[in-house]
Amino acid sequence: MESEEESKASPQDQKQQNPVAENGDGLFSPRFKSVAAMAGWDEEAILVAALVVEDTPDRLCKHKKRTGLQFKTPPSNSRRKRRAQRRSPVSIPIVVLDLDEEQSAKGESEQTKVEVKNVSIEEKRTEEEKKTAVGELKIEENSGVSCSNSVLPCIDKLREELSCAICLEICYEPSTTTCGHSFCKKCLRSAADKCGKRCPKCRQLISNGRSCTVNTVLWNTIQLLFPQEIEARKAGGALNNPEENEHRSPTRGNQYNVRTRSSRPSLASTSSQTSSTRRRGIPSQDEDAEHRILGRGIHNNVESRRPASVLHRDGTMRRRGRPSQDEVAATALRLERENLARLLGRDGSVRSWRITSDDEDAVLALRLQREEFMDAFRENPDQSNRTSLSSARSNLRAMASRAINIRTRRHPI
Amino acid sequence: MNSSIGVGGMPAASWVSTTSVSASGKRIQREMVELNSDPPPDCSAGPKGDNLYNWVSTIIGPTGTPYEGGIFFLDIIFPSEYPFKPPKVIFKTRIYHCNVDSAGNVWLDILKDSWSPALTITKVLLAIRSMFTNPDTYCPIVVDIAHMYLADRAKHDELAAEWTLRFAK
Repeated sequence: MESEEESKASPQDQKQQNPVAENGDGLFSPRFKSVAAMAGWDEEAILVAALVVEDTPDRLCKHKKRTGLQFKTPPSNSRRKRRAQRRSPVSIPIVVLDLDEEQSAKGESEQTKVEVKNVSIEEKRTEEEKKTAVGELKIEENSGVSCSNSVLPCIDKLREELSCAICLEICYEPSTTTCGHSFCKKCLRSAADKCGKRCPKCRQLISNGRSCTVNTVLWNTIQLLFPQEIEARKAGGALNNPEENEHRSPTRGNQYNVRTRSSRPSLASTSSQTSSTRRRGIPSQDEDAEHRILGRGIHNNVESRRPASVLHRDGTMRRRGRPSQDEVAATALRLERENLARLLGRDGSVRSWRITSDDEDAVLALRLQREEFMDAFRENPDQSNRTSLSSARSNLRAMASRAINIRTRRHPI
Repeated sequence: MNSSIGVGGMPAASWVSTTSVSASGKRIQREMVELNSDPPPDCSAGPKGDNLYNWVSTIIGPTGTPYEGGIFFLDIIFPSEYPFKPPKVIFKTRIYHCNVDSAGNVWLDILKDSWSPALTITKVLLAIRSMFTNPDTYCPIVVDIAHMYLADRAKHDELAAEWTLRFAK
């Protein structure tokens, strides 16, 4: 509990402090916990994350200013609210897709997930949505159904509607024909190759069966509605045909990018802000910009985990503390973790991303960077692969040493 | 019951390992689940043994046709390129029908040129079932039966009923 005392003493935090007992059970409402659990955060993780948030003074400072300017909400007692305020600056540039609004009823459960991952737009809206979504999630939890999709009564119909008639699964990167029927891009391409250029559904001639384009709106909708299926399919695809996967890894990087970018159109601005905020506290490195953004996300993660873990009350190593601010990196990392967890043959449930060993983290970081890097240099994937590997390695080494430095600086042994 | 439901007569040409989780295997599995959860009327189908690509199916002759009350067994063999290539459907029960040849091969356009990857086994079975009520006499495989159907419907129905009684009950 050293850090809590520390943060209490820190001047910026003074106003926000409240007399709520600083212990895990009292901090979060059961509703919040249930939502968090849906997103794979257990109580400890939230607590640790909260501690980490309080541990970064320069960030807090910035947050506070922004909060004061933008939100006229009275100081609240709710820890949850405070957290929402604190992380809001980072999330402001993140514009949630219009899809969300159009289908807010449909995508609510999904949104909750995203929100718990700290992608909030406006505090008010967040609160409202959280409340409704939490209610729904609770009902669902009581009924013992773990899949967030079952919130919607029409989800089965939606599933049917959004399924590809060729593979009978949820459309993966749907491509829409000129006659208006949608199939997985891959399926449609195979159909055009093997069965002639006719729509599999209505047999109309498809002019360009080869050059299918992904129906972005539909693809985003599907990703929002069926995140688990899509993730499973991604992981499954990687697992089933590794050589093919290796072969088309640049495209995979692209998909990955489509995913993150499409759900957060202003990724670039978010990231640059993130990195500029970060640059204050941490000396910048000589890397290319994109590389740095992601590297830092992980970096921050690796770095902050150590103090948090050391600080934990019973002294056991808690490895899951992660800063809640780094949406982009954290979300990406989480997705990657899920992927990897599946690859490693773990149970594919929401909580399965909890891979704890540092080695695995390093592997993850590496993979993440490689993917991003590949995307940036798609022309020569092989070369970039190698360079990214080496730079990622050096980067990680730097992170580790810095993390140790910070740890010893803060908590002299 | 019929004696011609032999399993041994099947060519094992398109045997594909069931352990491979290929696209076709996945699709077939999915169809199996859907078929079990929502089977078409008077039809059933499922893998014969371990091989996912080799199914056996039964269709009960629809009422109001000479095939009424008969239980017709069919073999369904999925190619490895399924669903981009049509499955092979073979009657194992003898049937008097102008679209089924003496070897049991079903001559349906959707199982040949008009196949579409969007078609499923459920739809194929429904098409076969509707073939019982409405034989396609325009492109028959057994021309005699088609002629008989057009020229002397009563005789055709009588023969078909007799075959049904003999082979399918």
